[in-house]
Amino acid sequence: MDDLLSEFLTETSEGLSTLDVELVKLEQNPNDADLLGNIFRLMHTIKGTCGFLGLPRLESVAHAGENILGKVRDGELVVTGPIVSLILECLDQIREILNVLEATEAEPDGDDSELISRLNAAAEGKLADAPAEAAAPAAPEAPAAETEEEVEFVPTPASETGNMNVAAEEPQAEAVAEEPAAEAAPEPVAEAAPAPEPEAPAAPAPAAAAKKPAANQEVAKESSVANQSIRVNVDLLENLMTMVSELVLTRNQTLQILRGQKDSEFAAPLQRLNHVVSELQEGVMKTRMQPIGNAWAKLPRIIRDLSLELDKKIDLVMKGAETELDRQVLELIKDPLTHMVRNSADHGLEMPADRIKVGKPETGKVLLNAYHEGGHIIIEIVDDGKGLASAKIKEKVLSNGLATEAELESMSEQQIQQFIFKAGFSTAAAVTSVSGRGVGMDVVRTNIEKIGGTVELKSVEGKGTTFTIKIPLTLAIVSALIVASGRERFAIPQLSVVELVRASGNSEHSIERINDTPVLRLRNRLLPLVNLRELLKLPPQEIEAEKGSAPEKASDEAETVESEETAVAETPSSSDSSGMIKNDNFIVVAQVGTYSFGIIVDRVFDTEEIVVKPVAPILRDIQLFSGNTILGDGAVVMILDPNGIAAATGEIAVSGAAAEGAAERHAGDNAETVAMLVFRAADSAPKAVPLGLVARLEEIDLASVENSGGQRVVQYRGALMPLVQMDGKELKTEGRQPVLVFSDRDRTMGLVVDEIVDIVEDRMNIELGTEKQGCIGSAIIDDKATDIIDASFYLQQAFSDWFAGGDRGDAEDGAGGSKILVVDDSPFFRNLLAPLLSVAGYEVTTVESAAEALELCEAGKAFDVIVSDIEMPGMSGFEFAEAIKNNTRWANVPLVALSSFASPNDLARGREVGFTDYVSKNDRDALLHTLKDTLAEVRGAA
Amino acid sequence: MSDEQEISNVNSNSQTDEYITFVIAGQLFGVPVLKVQDVLSPQRVTPIPLAPPEIAGSLNLRGRIVTAIDVRLRLGLNGRDEGDEGMSIVVEHDSELYSLMVDSVGEVLQLKASHFERNPPTLDQKFREYSDGIYRLDDKLLVVLDVTRLLDYGREVAA
Repeated sequence: MDDLLSEFLTETSEGLSTLDVELVKLEQNPNDADLLGNIFRLMHTIKGTCGFLGLPRLESVAHAGENILGKVRDGELVVTGPIVSLILECLDQIREILNVLEATEAEPDGDDSELISRLNAAAEGKLADAPAEAAAPAAPEAPAAETEEEVEFVPTPASETGNMNVAAEEPQAEAVAEEPAAEAAPEPVAEAAPAPEPEAPAAPAPAAAAKKPAANQEVAKESSVANQSIRVNVDLLENLMTMVSELVLTRNQTLQILRGQKDSEFAAPLQRLNHVVSELQEGVMKTRMQPIGNAWAKLPRIIRDLSLELDKKIDLVMKGAETELDRQVLELIKDPLTHMVRNSADHGLEMPADRIKVGKPETGKVLLNAYHEGGHIIIEIVDDGKGLASAKIKEKVLSNGLATEAELESMSEQQIQQFIFKAGFSTAAAVTSVSGRGVGMDVVRTNIEKIGGTVELKSVEGKGTTFTIKIPLTLAIVSALIVASGRERFAIPQLSVVELVRASGNSEHSIERINDTPVLRLRNRLLPLVNLRELLKLPPQEIEAEKGSAPEKASDEAETVESEETAVAETPSSSDSSGMIKNDNFIVVAQVGTYSFGIIVDRVFDTEEIVVKPVAPILRDIQLFSGNTILGDGAVVMILDPNGIAAATGEIAVSGAAAEGAAERHAGDNAETVAMLVFRAADSAPKAVPLGLVARLEEIDLASVENSGGQRVVQYRGALMPLVQMDGKELKTEGRQPVLVFSDRDRTMGLVVDEIVDIVEDRMNIELGTEKQGCIGSAIIDDKATDIIDASFYLQQAFSDWFAGGDRGDAEDGAGGSKILVVDDSPFFRNLLAPLLSVAGYEVTTVESAAEALELCEAGKAFDVIVSDIEMPGMSGFEFAEAIKNNTRWANVPLVALSSFASPNDLARGREVGFTDYVSKNDRDALLHTLKDTLAEVRGAA
Repeated sequence: MSDEQEISNVNSNSQTDEYITFVIAGQLFGVPVLKVQDVLSPQRVTPIPLAPPEIAGSLNLRGRIVTAIDVRLRLGLNGRDEGDEGMSIVVEHDSELYSLMVDSVGEVLQLKASHFERNPPTLDQKFREYSDGIYRLDDKLLVVLDVTRLLDYGREVAA
């Protein structure tokens, strides 16, 4: 059954029951204005909903009822027994129709004009003087059973009003007794009952008919929709949830105790309890789940109004409305969602005329899509409008002073688009009544982040914008990482924790300082660090140690643990003058939006499911905490709010992302960053090879090495893999040794190394000109001179024909001496690509800038394909492509873009300016394939 | 406030009220016994960083998180001596539980309304603010602590 209808049925049945009671009360206290008002309101609601749902018959009956109540309310009529009876009759009629409606989902045919006219007559005051009149003449015409009821019914109004209850119920009971058939087949009767109505000319017939089904209803109700759903106060559910949360905590606590005991007889029952509690928790959570469609209910109306107001044609498509999420979350995203949809329709979609101009259908589309994805709910808001105009955003950013021109210059399109999440930012040129009021996406973002969600933005100018919101399903129970700073423990919601890093003096990660500000080098990026101890103004380690256990005598257990910890911590920190940061730290890398930062903590415990409880009102203004909770061991801990920490440390999401992006870009300017595998072999000097060339890392058992045809081989994945050593020395005969596996089609080669050191993503300054064989050059990686080895050299050692044209398909049908121009500003890549491509059979020319390439063009050189980098100083790859496409000579030469950052946006933009294909820099195979395909296409076309 | 007091005085002239008594810095205090949920021995309290100094922390009372307030500090007195653990009285305020840390908790007294008196105007400002009035006992004076005002941090901020 339609949700709306079943809800209506439930609600109306409730309303009717209340009305019954209230009307009777009213009869006893005819002057109770509040009561009357309430009755009128209930009736009005019923009428209103009927009209809304398109139930004309119900509506007209309810309307007549409301009418008469209105007169009573206005004092034009006096509440008398007959009037109340008549209204009750009206209610019965409504009930009867509802019954049929519930069974058949359609209003029954029938005529209520007689009842309505009586109601109307009563409303005009005609009925009041002759209560029995309506019933009396009718009696003879009605069948016996009904007459009997009538007889009981008629005197009632005349007698004491207090008996109304009894009078109304008795006939019903009798009707059941008299008609056992009704019990057996209640629904058919209910359906059949209205049918004879039109024929019944006199007053009592419908009245009696109304009562019969009413009696049946009592029976039918057992299975009715109204009975299958009950309304429960939200508070009750919340309370239940809290109780279950407590239960979960107690269970955790019990399980923890159990873990410490071996062979406890409690194990089995506790396990059972564990399961039951989990199921209970799930069940209770379900009661709080609501379809997201509830939050969308207002949207069609909003969009409709918008389209009228703005003169746009808008099509709102909603998918996944049945996706459920926690009530609390639902409430919190309602407004942001509405805002975003409104934004999409207002800012996103163009005017119909403009749409036609750019070849889009006149009607713009806003798509809402919701679905579950691993503990999260994803909501997408997609429009096919004009997208975000970077130029406009830049202008606005400049005029608002949010960033300087230079900063903007170094940002990617995506980073620029992120500015719309900044406070006080609106791209709408004019402030319309709809949006652009300054409360914009920043509020949306803040609200979403408040509930641990994220919002992402993807926009292509001219094509449309997609917002992706990711929010947790529930807020009540979350998984949290428990950390300690000093003697205090804190919980950090797992959702915002990206990774954990252990930083100590002797590991590769150590905390460095810029003017006392701690930072961490993490995968060649500087990660800003926040010292939790300083942030929370916790006492420094030494003081704490001296202070001893005074404030916390009660917790002896925790005390001993802590003092041990403190003692351990003391030793290394003595070398650190500030004493605030020890040498051995854990860093929790957290992410808020696009801004990541590290939180320095002393210890990290495990993760625990915690129940978030709001903090006492006194503490609400401390932004660093989002709540508190009770852990399994019964201790109260504060829950840290990563958003609050990010805000408190001065970084707001957008600026953080911008700064970070700038850093990234900056790196890209000097030299490309590339993932290098660093290893040791032959001598002590570290060696490196681009990770992209390595297929796998393996460890082989040296005992399994065999000799074949003068070569050392090992059986590997059902084939023989030749092993090559850098220095050509004899292999040891036992033990294990790491091997870098290079693979090309069905061939593999293993390069035996001594030790695999690390994978480093680094920008590199290659010092060229090495004469060492098998070496492209040296670079500084991790502050050490590192040889970059030439993988192709060793490949050739293993298979003399590895790159020889002979059996290589690429060379035969693809390359065949095709001329390739490689444009790349990085010497490293030029030197990596050139040999690669030339051994694949291409004739390679390399230049280091677009300008140089264009000079070659002017000089009359011809190439079959051009491979160009995107990120280049001076003229970028995009500009280069545009220049070429405008140049008659090279206009038809296929262009392949080569970049280390291949975001979908870049890809789309690349294709727009004329690149035939797009290949990631580290993917050698893809490059060769692309070249082959591209050339084949050109030839096919030619 | 004063109106309310007067009314309660009129109403309660003939009746007695029950107060639970406690001592802070040698001074006898009382709170209406009906407001008190619990009396606690020293508990394991989790300090809350960045909170006002008089907030001693939070503790777990049968699954509910209770905010512990050091009444001494709230009244502007010195903190308790080290090693002196004191006791706590748990009260509910705005459907939140608070544990009031005091030096020691005494007995429950039935006090006659006729022995009630308003605060002398010369009383320390903080005492005046958090006290409802004074009961004259035979051997000493009992200050009635107004829990609502004591815990109403919001009002203070607003003011």
